[in-house]
Amino acid sequence: MRLVFYGGGDEEENISLNHALIKLVKSSNPVITYIPACSYDADIEFSYFARHFKKFHISRMINFPVDIPFTDILLKEVLKSDIIYLGGGNTFYFLKTLKDVGLIPKLKKYALEGGILSGLSAGAIIMTPNVKTASFPSFDCDLNEEKVTNFRSMNLVDFEFFPHYKNSIRYEDELKRYSNKINRPLYACPDGCGIILDQDKISFIGKNYCFYKGKKILLKAA
Amino acid sequence: MKSLLHNTVTKKNTNKYGQFDQLNGNHPLKEFVPEAYVEYQARQKKSGKVYYFNFALAKQLGLISEDHPEKMNAEIEKKILETFNIVIINEYDNIHNIKHPPETIKENTYMATRYLQLQHPSKQGKTSGDGRSVWNGQVTHHGVTWDISSCGTGATRLSPASAKMHKFFKTGDPSISYGCGCSEKDEGVSSSLFSEVMYLNGIRTERVLAIIEHKNGLAINVRAHPNLIRPSHFFAPLKQNNYEYLKKMYDYYVTRQRENGFWSDYPKDEIEGYEYFLRKIANVFATMVAQFEDEYIFCWLDWDGDNILMDGSIIDYGSVRQFGLFHHEYRYDDVERYSTSITEQKIKAKYLIQTFVQMTDFLKNQTKRPIKIFEHHHVLKEFEKIFEYQKDKNLLYKIGFNNSQVSLLLNKHRKIVRDFRQSFSYFERIKSIKGIKKVADGINWSAIFCMRDILREYPQIMQFRNGFLTSDEFIEIIKSSYATKKDLVLNSYRKQMIHVFQEKYMQMVDMVAAEVNKSGKNILCEVTMRSSVINKYDRITGDAVTIIVDKILSLKQGPDEIYKIMHDFLYFQNHDPSKIKQLERHKIKNTKGVKNLLEIVRSYREGI
Repeated sequence: MRLVFYGGGDEEENISLNHALIKLVKSSNPVITYIPACSYDADIEFSYFARHFKKFHISRMINFPVDIPFTDILLKEVLKSDIIYLGGGNTFYFLKTLKDVGLIPKLKKYALEGGILSGLSAGAIIMTPNVKTASFPSFDCDLNEEKVTNFRSMNLVDFEFFPHYKNSIRYEDELKRYSNKINRPLYACPDGCGIILDQDKISFIGKNYCFYKGKKILLKAA
Repeated sequence: MKSLLHNTVTKKNTNKYGQFDQLNGNHPLKEFVPEAYVEYQARQKKSGKVYYFNFALAKQLGLISEDHPEKMNAEIEKKILETFNIVIINEYDNIHNIKHPPETIKENTYMATRYLQLQHPSKQGKTSGDGRSVWNGQVTHHGVTWDISSCGTGATRLSPASAKMHKFFKTGDPSISYGCGCSEKDEGVSSSLFSEVMYLNGIRTERVLAIIEHKNGLAINVRAHPNLIRPSHFFAPLKQNNYEYLKKMYDYYVTRQRENGFWSDYPKDEIEGYEYFLRKIANVFATMVAQFEDEYIFCWLDWDGDNILMDGSIIDYGSVRQFGLFHHEYRYDDVERYSTSITEQKIKAKYLIQTFVQMTDFLKNQTKRPIKIFEHHHVLKEFEKIFEYQKDKNLLYKIGFNNSQVSLLLNKHRKIVRDFRQSFSYFERIKSIKGIKKVADGINWSAIFCMRDILREYPQIMQFRNGFLTSDEFIEIIKSSYATKKDLVLNSYRKQMIHVFQEKYMQMVDMVAAEVNKSGKNILCEVTMRSSVINKYDRITGDAVTIIVDKILSLKQGPDEIYKIMHDFLYFQNHDPSKIKQLERHKIKNTKGVKNLLEIVRSYREGI
């Protein structure tokens, strides 16, 4: 599997991660699909996204909002893309939408069959076993307006993911407390930082942290 | 002619809100065209509070500084109320000898302007004009002079009710609705919301500066525009054969256009000047009416030239709509008659130009000749030419080509563009087999295909396809919720048009690709980027505005919150790819309040 997890931030902050993402591609004329977390401002976000990836000589891109009706015609092309990029936004809304339209199993299959799946913030959380990390800390969490109760997600990796991490005591306390309750690592990535999983190899870009059983460990960047 | 800027405060005003003091009833039209208005004394109203204030527009007008926080404070609120919270002392007040405390009476008088309105019995503009509005004055900032007027400031003698019933009405008289001189808060909110969406997307329009709220849903709605003169301001003296009045009106208008820098190349020679005027107006109206058609904007144009400004700006949003599909059979029901349809707007606009030809002929010869003799005037041929050119240009823009690509296709491959437009229009105009239906405020015969959807999806898909979409795939993408199974039957002509659409579309892409030495796929990617903004899934319609206005009115919040929610909502209404970088990305939060409004836009996206 080839997965890229973005901690957050805009295109310029993520330039190193984007380089790493493009490096994973084998095709000479790759296709990227952008799946926004919400369609209301998808055109604006896609504009920034596409303009940025054009700098990497990507000349085929799809904007594929999933909370508005879409046809199978486009979906077929999406699932043939070299990279699918899940955007940031409200994690609960995004998860609910992906489940409602039956895309969770399709995207999972896509990743398991060799497609490069990447996600920023909410999009990254969705690739993990569940989306519980979107619900805390209380001072920086996604509102669950959709009243999602089943937090299970794609479960492509055996770790959880916390985006937009800020290296401060109050974040640290919350994440340590949560890591005590789970039996897998919790990776916390600030904006502009992230994780690359290329088959069995995991590497980190920027200053990322791992919380495990109440302990905080600074991870070595690639 | 001397300058119109005489009442502009030029000396540095040390008072933070001193620029508002210019809006005191003075206006150069009073001096230059005395026949064009009725003058009223006005008094300060005691009750009333600021419901909405357009900080962004106030900055554009120079009423507040660029760095003024977009928040209300006691001082600015007081100033807004002092300036705009007024009511006229009208004929009814004078006849009934109604006394008002002298300290409440404003120092200057305010004018209600005269213009032609077809709903007045005389049909000559002798009794018609601003029936419930007065002009507050003008402000100049960064070289542009703006007119400011307020609606809901009392009943004037120029309302249709006064003309029909031969009496003067008390302001607020409940026995008469349109004629009581009042305006409603929902009109203000609706105009504000709609006009800001239009403005954001490059449609010329009046804009709302402030809404002053009063009891029972009433309000004073303050509007601004660089020149609030309508065609009907000219047509009143024209119908009355009043050369002197018309000439003064003409000179006033031209002087303002020149001083604002819009017509800086206006010729010195009088006769050449009239020709210049006609060419400009024909260009404005042909461009405007093509834009209205292509953006699905319904604006009831008629021979009186009352519902539009001279530069083609929308004024008075009472019957204005934006459709989600090309509902070209929609007609507004105005009790006594049905309105024109969106495609008939062009005929009316052309007739307005013909009237301007008659008008300039009158100005040249001082004798009015019948309008019919001008029906083959060269300016009308020019109007047709510009209209057709704009239609082609608008469609290329909607596809997602950039400016240089549009120019290339228009200059070198016009035939392909025309053929494509023919197939596009064919699908755009197909109506439901259900026929004409009554709708909330008129009648409609629904269109069934959403052309925005195909323009958005087609370039994306064609980045990967080597062949065309099948007819079934094509229909699957363009069908709207109005389409029934029977509507979607594929006959041989429809299949042929699907083929033409795709063939001509891809030919245009290939022409552009060849010119810039890029691959067709590359061009399709660029088109995809622009088209996803221009043809975004959600698009505000008249139906959506009505519901959103109700939603906003139900919010029990102050002017800062109302401004914020409208401002944030607008972030999501941009359809112009060139403006993406100017949007306040990351600053706008998709809050629950805004999301509620966006959901309404989505629900009504195919409506009228």
